[in-house]
Amino acid sequence: MNVNEKFSALRKGLLEFLLLQIIAAEKVYVADILRQLSQTEFATQEGTLYPLLSKMRREGLLDYQWKESEAGPPRKYYQLTARGREQLRETQEYWGRINGTVKKLAQK
Amino acid sequence: MNKVITINLGGNAYQLEEGGYDALRAYLDSAALRLQGNPDKDEIISDIELAMAEKFRTLLGSRKTVVAAKEVEAVVAEMGPIEADTGESAAPPAGAGATGAAGGRGPAEQQPAAGRCGLPRRLYRISEGAMLAGVCNGIAAYVNVDPTFVRLGFVFLTMLWGTGVLVYIVMAIVVPEASSPEERAAASGIPSTAQEFIRRAKQGYYEAMKGFPDHRARREWRRQFKREMRGWGRRFGQEMSWNAAQWQYNWHNYWAAHARLHPGLGLTLPLLSLLQGAATILWICASISLLATGAVFGLALPANVPVWAAALLLLFTYGILSAPLKLARRACYWGFGFPGAGGSFIFLADAVVWVGVVLALAWLAVHFFPELRAAAQSLPTLAHQAADDIRAWWTKK
Repeated sequence: MNVNEKFSALRKGLLEFLLLQIIAAEKVYVADILRQLSQTEFATQEGTLYPLLSKMRREGLLDYQWKESEAGPPRKYYQLTARGREQLRETQEYWGRINGTVKKLAQK
Repeated sequence: MNKVITINLGGNAYQLEEGGYDALRAYLDSAALRLQGNPDKDEIISDIELAMAEKFRTLLGSRKTVVAAKEVEAVVAEMGPIEADTGESAAPPAGAGATGAAGGRGPAEQQPAAGRCGLPRRLYRISEGAMLAGVCNGIAAYVNVDPTFVRLGFVFLTMLWGTGVLVYIVMAIVVPEASSPEERAAASGIPSTAQEFIRRAKQGYYEAMKGFPDHRARREWRRQFKREMRGWGRRFGQEMSWNAAQWQYNWHNYWAAHARLHPGLGLTLPLLSLLQGAATILWICASISLLATGAVFGLALPANVPVWAAALLLLFTYGILSAPLKLARRACYWGFGFPGAGGSFIFLADAVVWVGVVLALAWLAVHFFPELRAAAQSLPTLAHQAADDIRAWWTKK
């Protein structure tokens, strides 16, 4: 089992955190998100992304606006709600603590 | 030259080659199946349709107006399988990608996947097309056989001291009726899209044929109907193979868990074989005594029951009585790890014991009761009589 497989569950769990970060930076639609993730370890597909985005919207973390596009059907542009920003702040804090722990234990 | 199908994605028309249409449809159907029970199902599906529409749009231009089958497949692959993590989705992995995987799995390596194959199935009464309360219909849907067989089964059970009537009444009271489309789908395990399609096929086909204004529209409709019919046939085939895999898996798992190498098995198996051999010989003796004397061990038949019907009844009774013995023996084989190498040896040894018992008892019976030998010789005339009875009944009808 290589590192890539070992951390697949971890990556899956972190995807929501990354989405919050990406959407916090600017209004994006799904193709933008896929492009930003494509060169990273978190490269993913629409089949995974849409269910996750819908779930996050249902939980009140996201909202979207329809925008006309010159190439094809209208697109959904996602943005964070107040609750989404709150969640992002909490997650960043927690992630920072985890990182700190990992580094601290490695130094010993 | 390929046929082209026009579809509507997100309010715009797209023209796809027929093969591409099939691939797209399989993908969307599988998405719908996997999202069963997901609160965001409709939204996710419409998102996916829009995303595909946008991808198709980038492939097309003023000179190219049709999306090729290969391109659709590429888009489907790019989208990736639907992965929703809300709860354990019980839907089977349907669609083109899963067909190969579903066929080739043996009982051992399919353990994680097989637990989820087939929709969750529940026993309901189905009043649609029912004779009485829909109990037989429901059972038929549950085990996937023709309801007529289940009804015949109940009639036969009724002949055994009226058990059938009793069971039927109890089930009619206890088993809930399938009233919503979801419950009807759960009753047979067929996904509601397919059910919906059957319903539409039954009701809508001829209605629609009448309603179309001109010849061409009618032909187009007929073509589409046939295509959907084919698609449904494929899905049905898949369903069936999943069901089979599920049964096999459950069966294997059950015995693997409950009967693994119990020390008593070595004694139980020959004992069961002896018992079954004895049951067989008892049945043969009963049949012979029926043929010879017209009564089973001195027990006279009711006046208007012909001998051949009584012989058939004996055969059924024997079948029912020996079924638990057979099942128990099979359970023993599983306990020995059948069908492994050791399992087949035990199977052989057991078969030898069984055949030996039957032969020995038969020899003893014929040896000590000469009238049995005479009875066996009356078999051909009896067969003629049965054939004549059936012919007479048929011509009268």
